[in-house]
Amino acid sequence: MSKHPVIEWIDRRFPFTAFVKHELTEYKVPRNLSYWWNFGFLAGFVLLLQIVSGVFLAMHYKPDAKLAFDSIEHIMREVNYGWLLRYLHSTGASAFFAVIYIHMARTLYYGSFRAPREIMWWTGQVLLLSLMATAFMGYLLPWGQMSYWGAQVITNLFGATPIIGGDVVVWLRGDFVVGDATINRFFVLHFFFPFLICGIVLVHLVALHFVRSSNPSGINLRAEENISLHPYFTFKDLFGLGVFLIIFCAFVFFSPDFFIEPDNNIPANPLQTPPHIVPEWYFLPFYAILRAIPDMLGGVVAMTLSVMVFAAMPYLDRSKIPGGSRYRPLYRAMFGVFVLDIALLTYVGAQPATDEMTIIGRIATTIYFSMFMLLPIMSKKEEAWLFVRGLPQEVMAMIAEEKDDDRRRREKDRRKNERRREQE
Amino acid sequence: MKKIEILFTLMIAPLSVWASGGEVPLMQVDLAHDAGTRKQGAEVVLTVCTGCHNLKYIKYRDLQAVGFSQQEIDDLRGAAEMTAPIMSLSPPDMLKDTYGVVPPDLSLIAKARAGKGRYVYTLFNNFYMRADGNVDNHLFPGIRMPDVLGVAAMGEGPDKKAFQESMKKVASFLEWASDPNAEERESLGFYVLIYLIIFTLMLGVMKRRIWADVH
Ligand code: HEC
Ligand code: HEM
Repeated sequence: MSKHPVIEWIDRRFPFTAFVKHELTEYKVPRNLSYWWNFGFLAGFVLLLQIVSGVFLAMHYKPDAKLAFDSIEHIMREVNYGWLLRYLHSTGASAFFAVIYIHMARTLYYGSFRAPREIMWWTGQVLLLSLMATAFMGYLLPWGQMSYWGAQVITNLFGATPIIGGDVVVWLRGDFVVGDATINRFFVLHFFFPFLICGIVLVHLVALHFVRSSNPSGINLRAEENISLHPYFTFKDLFGLGVFLIIFCAFVFFSPDFFIEPDNNIPANPLQTPPHIVPEWYFLPFYAILRAIPDMLGGVVAMTLSVMVFAAMPYLDRSKIPGGSRYRPLYRAMFGVFVLDIALLTYVGAQPATDEMTIIGRIATTIYFSMFMLLPIMSKKEEAWLFVRGLPQEVMAMIAEEKDDDRRRREKDRRKNERRREQE
Repeated sequence: MKKIEILFTLMIAPLSVWASGGEVPLMQVDLAHDAGTRKQGAEVVLTVCTGCHNLKYIKYRDLQAVGFSQQEIDDLRGAAEMTAPIMSLSPPDMLKDTYGVVPPDLSLIAKARAGKGRYVYTLFNNFYMRADGNVDNHLFPGIRMPDVLGVAAMGEGPDKKAFQESMKKVASFLEWASDPNAEERESLGFYVLIYLIIFTLMLGVMKRRIWADVH
């Protein structure tokens, strides 16, 4: 196939064709990836959707405590297809979290966070934190009652910081109360963060193409069992995107207010606290953990830990058996309990803090953290049990291979050190 | 169109069960959503409610969308511009002095309450006479809005029926006012979904063909 002269010209100055070939068209992917591997691509799509709809919203939005609420109504009523932009963006935020949570659940279930994919897991963790910050700041912008009081409650939490708490709160808000200064800085940061997210996504993808996809079998496939990204996975991903868009558009066009609290259609009123302040659904489990601890500082620490603890997974899971839940019934059971527990926490987070709810919330919080704390012991015990019970031959082979790799690496390091010492 | 909506509502209904739980349940009413109903509702709102409430996100020219003729709009607006928002003639300060609160704007009120139009309908049906002779409201105890339609004294009779019929129309108009693009959104959504379903089915077929040699 002869190349277009323009491409030819570019290729002499920039590795365009080589890049497309190496990273896209001929990039090798395990053939047995299921649709659970579709969600990273979907997350990228939603990120793009949020940026495009956000940029157009920003052309009409006014980050000013006196004008913000009216400017949203202006977008909804007077701007051509402004309602579509806004509903794409507000539904998109929920879709983003749904997709990311499924993406993370996949990784946990199949143990894809283990070596050599720790950097993928950690960049993912940073992406989750940035996404949460972006959504939190975006939620202030419509300047409704929930926007205002949500920001009030969450910024207040930083007051729990020992000694400098009060100063931190003022520093975040830019004022003593959530007000004009806050909405302005939140707008700037809400605009900026998604581009930061794009940068982190890039690192995430470079890491991916270096270590390559894990797969549902948990075992590294032979070279001939990998197939090229295009056309196989491009079409599989596009089909998944179609299914996603059908569900997404059903919400956007037929039930867009499903994700917007009625109270947020009341302009922010600093003098009137809503009877029941609830965060967006995607923050509910963490909110439930915050409220489960009677002490404010303790609650903040627990909530922060509940998000950050994921980063420790590569160390908490000490089993040598690859494939996560695939060959490990105990790990699979713990995963199941964890998912149910998060559903329970979501429910509790949405309820008013009655005595009963507080107790259920505390039990669910205890289960949440004990899953992580038990994992180091359970994974070792399970490993010993499974070695006795017997594992498929391929699994044992892979464990041996990884052990071999490890030994060889250590041997190499030792020799290098020796040589250095000799030279000295 | 309606069918898709109903199907979709059924699909997500289990999710919304835990969304709210008020003390007085909202009344189940079917609100008609045609221009004629809305126009009759608008007439009540523009004669009774705008005595105290603004409709600041609705402009006079928007009334064309619910079937007002140019002549009718001209009669309503007097010297106001076509592009002027519909505002109460009572000064806010005076209202605040009389009722202790500036009545909320009505153009977004349906969306600002769980249940939308049903909330407004239920609110007005729930005015009652207390034992001490004062009027109160079951849904919103201590409400500072007077019983402007005299519901508490109405009893059950033809008057009540007539009131309920007209209140349904008011609720329907207020739902429209809070989301005037709903109809355009749903009809566009219908085509978008049809397109996406066909497109996705085609992608599914192509994916199967491409993958045929892998299995
Ligand atoms: C005499 C003045 C007056 C008139 C006329 C009036 N209202 Fe009100 N309305 C009020 C006041 C005052 C409030 C504030 C109530 C409060 O917050 O205690 C209010 C509140 C409301 C609310 C909000 C209740 C809530 O949940 O906060 C709705 C809905 C409402 N009015 C609808 C109407 C409709 C529809 C009409 C016309 C049929 C109407 N009002 C006519 C004075 C009025
Ligand atoms: C990481 C991706 C993003 C997420 C998760 C996100 C999330 C949100 C959320 C939850 C809201 C409040 C929605 C509402 O109630 O209407 C919002 C509003 C807004 N966002 Fe974003 N956003 C993202 C990217 C962007 C980008 C890139 C821009 C601009 C360049 C932007 C501009 C805006 C504007 C102007 C609003 C206010 C309008 C509105 O409330 O609808 N967003 N965002």
